[in-house]
Amino acid sequence: MSGLNSPTPLRQRRGPASRSPDYSVVSQDDDQVEFTSPRNRSAAERILETDKANIAVVGILTVLAFALRFYKINHPDQVVFDEVHFGKFASYYITRQYYFDVHPPLAKMLFGLAGWFVGYDGHFLFDNIGDSYTENHVPYVGMRALPAFLSSMTVPIVYGIMKECGYSTIIAAFSASLVLFDSAHVAQGRLILLDAILIFFISMTMYCYVRFRKLRYQEFSSEWWGWLLGTGTFMACAWASKVNGILTVVAIGIPVLIDLWDILDIKKGHSMEYFTKHFMARAVGLIVLPVFLYLFFFWIHLTILTHTGPGDTFMSPAFQETLQGNELLLNSQEIHYFDSISIRHRDTRVFLHSHPERYPLRYDDGRVSSQGQQVTGYGHEDSNNHWQIIPTKALPETGRGRIVRENDVIQLLHVSTQTYLLTHDVASPLMATNEEFTTWPKDDYSRHNDTLFRLSLVDAEEGESWKSKSGHFKLIHVPTKVAMWTHPKQLPEWAFNQQEINGNKNINEKSNIWFVDNIVAEETGADVGNRLNIGNKKPKSRNFFKKFAELQLLMVQHNAGLTASHPYASSPINWPFLLSGISFWTDNTGQKQIYLIGNLIGWWTCVVAISTYVGIIGADLIARRRGVEPIHDSVRNRLWNSTGFFLIFWAVHYFPFYVMSRQLFIHHYLPSHLASALVAGSVLSFVLSETVNYPISIRGPSTHPKPSTYADVGMKGPIIVGVFVLAMFIMFCYISPLTYGTPGLDGDQVNARRLLSSWTLHFAAKPSSDV
Amino acid sequence: MRPSQVVIHVGTPPERSPRSSSDFEEIQYPINQSPSWATRSAREEELPLHYMSEETARRRVLRGPSGNGVHQEPSQTSEKEYEIYDDEGKDVYAKMKDMRSPLGSGRLRRPPPPPPTTVSEFIQQNLEHIPPIVYTLLSCWTRFHRIGHAPLVIWDEAHFGKFGSFYLKRQFYFDVHPPLGKMLVALAGLLSGYDGHFDFTSGAAYPDNVPYVAMRVMLATFGVALVPLAWYTAVELGMSWRACHLAAIMVLLDVGWLCISRFILLDSMLLFFTFTTVFCLAKFHNQQYQSFSFDWWLWLAMTGVSIGCVTSVKWVGMFVTALVGLYTIEDLWEKFGDLRMTKREQLRHWGARITCLITLPLLLYMAFFKIHFMILNHSGPDDAKMSSLFQANLVGNTFSQNPLEIAIGSKITLKNMGWAGGLLHSHVQTYPVGSSQQQVTCYHYKDENNDWVLVPRWDEAPYDPDGPIRFLADGDVVRFQHVATKRNLHSHPIPAPVSKLNTEVSGYGDDKIGDYQDYWVVEVVDDLRRGSKTHVDKIHSLTTRLRLRHQASGCYLRAGNEILPQWGFKQIEVSCDKENNPSDIYTYWNVETHINDRLPPGNAQFYKTSFVRDFWHLNVAMMTTNNALIPDPDKEDILASKPLDWPFLRLGLRMCGWGANQAKFYLLGTPVIWWGSTLSLFVAVAALGIYLLRKQRKYVDMEPREWDHMIYVGKVAVIGWALQFVPFLIMGRVTYLHHYLPTLYFAVLTSAHVLDHFVFTTRRLTERTKWIVFSVVVFSIIATFWWFRGVAFGIDGSINDHWGLKWRSDWNIYEE
Repeated sequence: MSGLNSPTPLRQRRGPASRSPDYSVVSQDDDQVEFTSPRNRSAAERILETDKANIAVVGILTVLAFALRFYKINHPDQVVFDEVHFGKFASYYITRQYYFDVHPPLAKMLFGLAGWFVGYDGHFLFDNIGDSYTENHVPYVGMRALPAFLSSMTVPIVYGIMKECGYSTIIAAFSASLVLFDSAHVAQGRLILLDAILIFFISMTMYCYVRFRKLRYQEFSSEWWGWLLGTGTFMACAWASKVNGILTVVAIGIPVLIDLWDILDIKKGHSMEYFTKHFMARAVGLIVLPVFLYLFFFWIHLTILTHTGPGDTFMSPAFQETLQGNELLLNSQEIHYFDSISIRHRDTRVFLHSHPERYPLRYDDGRVSSQGQQVTGYGHEDSNNHWQIIPTKALPETGRGRIVRENDVIQLLHVSTQTYLLTHDVASPLMATNEEFTTWPKDDYSRHNDTLFRLSLVDAEEGESWKSKSGHFKLIHVPTKVAMWTHPKQLPEWAFNQQEINGNKNINEKSNIWFVDNIVAEETGADVGNRLNIGNKKPKSRNFFKKFAELQLLMVQHNAGLTASHPYASSPINWPFLLSGISFWTDNTGQKQIYLIGNLIGWWTCVVAISTYVGIIGADLIARRRGVEPIHDSVRNRLWNSTGFFLIFWAVHYFPFYVMSRQLFIHHYLPSHLASALVAGSVLSFVLSETVNYPISIRGPSTHPKPSTYADVGMKGPIIVGVFVLAMFIMFCYISPLTYGTPGLDGDQVNARRLLSSWTLHFAAKPSSDV
Repeated sequence: MRPSQVVIHVGTPPERSPRSSSDFEEIQYPINQSPSWATRSAREEELPLHYMSEETARRRVLRGPSGNGVHQEPSQTSEKEYEIYDDEGKDVYAKMKDMRSPLGSGRLRRPPPPPPTTVSEFIQQNLEHIPPIVYTLLSCWTRFHRIGHAPLVIWDEAHFGKFGSFYLKRQFYFDVHPPLGKMLVALAGLLSGYDGHFDFTSGAAYPDNVPYVAMRVMLATFGVALVPLAWYTAVELGMSWRACHLAAIMVLLDVGWLCISRFILLDSMLLFFTFTTVFCLAKFHNQQYQSFSFDWWLWLAMTGVSIGCVTSVKWVGMFVTALVGLYTIEDLWEKFGDLRMTKREQLRHWGARITCLITLPLLLYMAFFKIHFMILNHSGPDDAKMSSLFQANLVGNTFSQNPLEIAIGSKITLKNMGWAGGLLHSHVQTYPVGSSQQQVTCYHYKDENNDWVLVPRWDEAPYDPDGPIRFLADGDVVRFQHVATKRNLHSHPIPAPVSKLNTEVSGYGDDKIGDYQDYWVVEVVDDLRRGSKTHVDKIHSLTTRLRLRHQASGCYLRAGNEILPQWGFKQIEVSCDKENNPSDIYTYWNVETHINDRLPPGNAQFYKTSFVRDFWHLNVAMMTTNNALIPDPDKEDILASKPLDWPFLRLGLRMCGWGANQAKFYLLGTPVIWWGSTLSLFVAVAALGIYLLRKQRKYVDMEPREWDHMIYVGKVAVIGWALQFVPFLIMGRVTYLHHYLPTLYFAVLTSAHVLDHFVFTTRRLTERTKWIVFSVVVFSIIATFWWFRGVAFGIDGSINDHWGLKWRSDWNIYEE
């Protein structure tokens, strides 16, 4: 094998061009020696490496970040894009009304908190994009300041990550400025949106993990534990801020597993007890603690939201009854036989309705009907929605025996036409596969069997009573085993465009569920109000874990269900190349708009960097396969371990979107963009010079001292980075009218800023020559 | 150093297993594990096992008979390495012991035996083939038994029988699957004398002149072949004789495979070619030390042929192809790291793979399509899926009679020239969103709603049927009027229903009413026959490629592959694209039918079509149609199932009507096999994890050679399973239980391998225990099969009279 000791000068690459002449006499295998002394480095490197310079750079970056993110933060004073949702949710926290959303609560609670701090009372509901904040007296600047602050803090953290990983100051500044001058981060970060908070937590997670890894020779020291628990905490915060924060957990999990696998290696000479100790420490810091925190945030969420609100209807009746002022809690009561009730479909909210008109004998497609009385779904209260429950068994005169229970077979009498609900094996008007619902005169017993329905309550035990509001049920036809069902399709004119009701052969479908909206009258016709004392009921209590489990399950289901198309949704392949953005907000009077789009120079640099990295690694693998080792081991380790860590973050936060079928937006790429900025920095470092700061891990009591090397990107580093940052800044300023939504642009200016033809900007000028 | 010339004493060769010419590689041929081959020689103990250490196992190349010792240095080092493994007796089992397991990592090359002189000698020589022959006969019985019992069109026979008929009638049809399977159905029909005139209505009784039994028998033959294939694959994978039996028995007695093989369906062929692919791959793997020998080439090429066939039956064959691909990549990566191999050899290896595994299958796939087009040369029901030029060449098509040059007043249909484009269509239904005007869509079937008339602009004189003929040329501004509803093709600045960034296209106005937004500029792109735009003076039907620009807003009429929701009958959305992208073929249109009494008919010779274009067009059409088969969220399909239901056999599938007076078939696996194989997958993954952890702590559980073999078979089985299964989780289309059937094969191989590893070849268990385990497993499979045989052979009488078939509450086998 021609390895390290090979006399052939495989490493033809030389370091920085600025290297002073006396370096060239150093013999070929002394690459390391060149940089073992920190004094031999170029002047720029030495200056920048000092603490003072470091602080100055961080200071400049942070001040710039705050300046760019807080610039005109009060503009527009209107609801922008998803502020519709997240602002509204913040209001609900303040008014303590229960709401339902697919995202975990932490970030939204922080918005609630921010709103509360600045004295917002939660009266505004953020109903439409473009609603004015000033007219409605919403202290929105305070709420926007929170993400702007966190988004600004992300910039020095990025710098810190790179610095801690042992890159030159100028390289760290390069990575930070990729985030600092990014229009997408800025635009996203200064509005009431979750992503800035998520990205802040993700970057903190990375930072803590890097610090933790650097202490690996001082295991179980208090500092070590501190950074480990810090990693777990911020990971939990990311996870609890937005659904895709779960990817951060995966992204940390992979390096942790690799790490543990290495500790397990017998060549390291560790005992199993030692390994177990490590394993347990990580289990506590990265599993137990985050899970606890995640649950804790939900606990706070559920503790705050104790009042009834718009989210009630998503939840199960048992959950709803824990909310103060909930309709179910107030009005739910047991249903007795001979009560008249109105029945409502859970999903489409229509009432079961019938009227004297009949089905036409022949439909447009030539099929024939029974010509029975129409049964339809109708959206409004009406006396034709009233049905009386007729028993099929003997009843006691009074008492609990008259309550309708699970699995009872009942008939439903339509009160105003005195006919029984019936279904039979005739195709329904719109769906040939489903059975038609109609009614049959009360005194004609010839079709008695077809009027029998079995009541099947959802999640009920045997003998459970049927309650209004809370007792969700399916109505199963006894002879033909179909479930009463309806769907949003309207019947034609002959049924007044009401909704079709038919018998669904698949009785397990979730959309078969109905509930009793109201008990209209008792048998005697008396009002039922006096049957039970209504109102003033105390909310029931329910185990937190049950409530959490129900909520979590619903969140997952609804998240997968977000498949509706959106004009600005885009597919993941477009994201790194910045092929399309999102129109956040437009203002017709001033031709102003906010268009979420990244800094073209920065994003394409990141793409180039990632491809370069993959190319370097691939070439290295292939070369090693052929017994050639072109890259020095210390550099190679850095490429694999530190850049690899960044690449894992990029990949884990990016590729899962390919298999998701929900609607996707470019802002889902922002966490990946942050990771790609880190990759870009380390690739730049590799390209400029193959030197790294080594070792960077803090020495432990048992580690052998190793010869140190020092990174040196020479003079050309600051120059290249300087020019690049300037270019980024110019680009940022050029598209800043789209980022800040001001000033307004005329048509030609818009066209000029449409750097890629796939960007869909508003107010573009028409092509002047109309052939 | 070792002496350069090594003489290895390999002991007395066993009977009927004469020593080969090579001086190592004496790996037992697995088949000699059949009980009759009781004589096990001392030879095994003296095998130079250390040659098989990890480092060198796959790098060795064929050596000459004399053994010139060139490649023997590694043996020195590896022997030393092996010493390291010996850590104070931690590895109780690692010491060289009698290897009871045959290992398939190299194949014994036996010289052909002398020609048999007596019958008994012949039998002696072929003793190893007796079990597979017995299994094949049993397989014939299970597959053919009562095969004509249900004289009805069962399940998807309605499709595939019908498609077979189209070949016999030579009419063009369209389907989402490639043609090979259906051509074989047609061949079965042809051989059994079927004339192709039955329309295979679902559930209908077969008339007397349809030889459905013969057709089913011929297709079931593919199902019969699965069993010996499974046997020989297990042999080639180096499994012990018990595992071979087990694999064959599981394939023989699974009611799912049995049931699906007994009808006129594609699945038996898909399964057959899946099985052959794995078999050829295993065969090829065993030739790895004899690169470029005849056998090596043969099995490499056969693997390629198998791949070509399996993907030509159904596209899911791509998944088993992926297994071959991964195997090849790993193999080449290994070879790439072999520094002793010359560049020429490397290139030959790469070339051989590219030729046999990429070019050959691709050529086969295209060849089947070529045959498909050659057979189907008559006009049929689905012509409109294809390009206009293709249709013009079908017998019975009248496009060639169309007048050539388009003129104002002509009645035309417009065909989108994008891949799988349809005809410009409109119908009385209106958009429920946007303008609420009449819908304009793209539609793949021919009806009168596709007809449009070219009329002059509103500001021109109305069309005079007796006036001079005005031919259409590039740049003309015209209106298109829908013949059936009199509406004008119209666009306005309202977002289109699906592609919201484009504007809506609708039908508006009538003979009298209309406005400037009805004007379209005809822009010629080029002409397929006459060449670039400069040669196009008048617009011709079929060959001239046009774009239609909306004069008022400058957008282009476009029909991509966006599907309208149910209110648009899932037809393709037509919109007006504001981006002028001259190379977007979805904005290209051509005139398809052209009716104008005042013009002379055209000439067929103008219309030539190219095979590659048609091939590609058809494949894109298949792809788009396949992707459109997504589950309707409004309605749960009672037949469909989710992939995660399959390994646990959560659902069965009723394949026909469930009346008491007909035979009922229920697609269901033999539960023991399905559940057992799924369990074995978990065991295999868990075992791998534990072994890796132990390896990391340097516990040596087995010799490198055993490890290599276990990993190799495990990779084929488990990765094969994952490649067949995981894509179904991701893909959006509706999935059914029978999609798991090819996947099941890999699960079955896994279970055989797991049992082989933990029971049949382990040294910890006695022969008696192995017999007991083997008998229990085989017995439970046989018993369960017998219990459930009815679901494949057909259940007569009322289903509820058959007790005890519902093993899981979700099976809808009983009438409730």
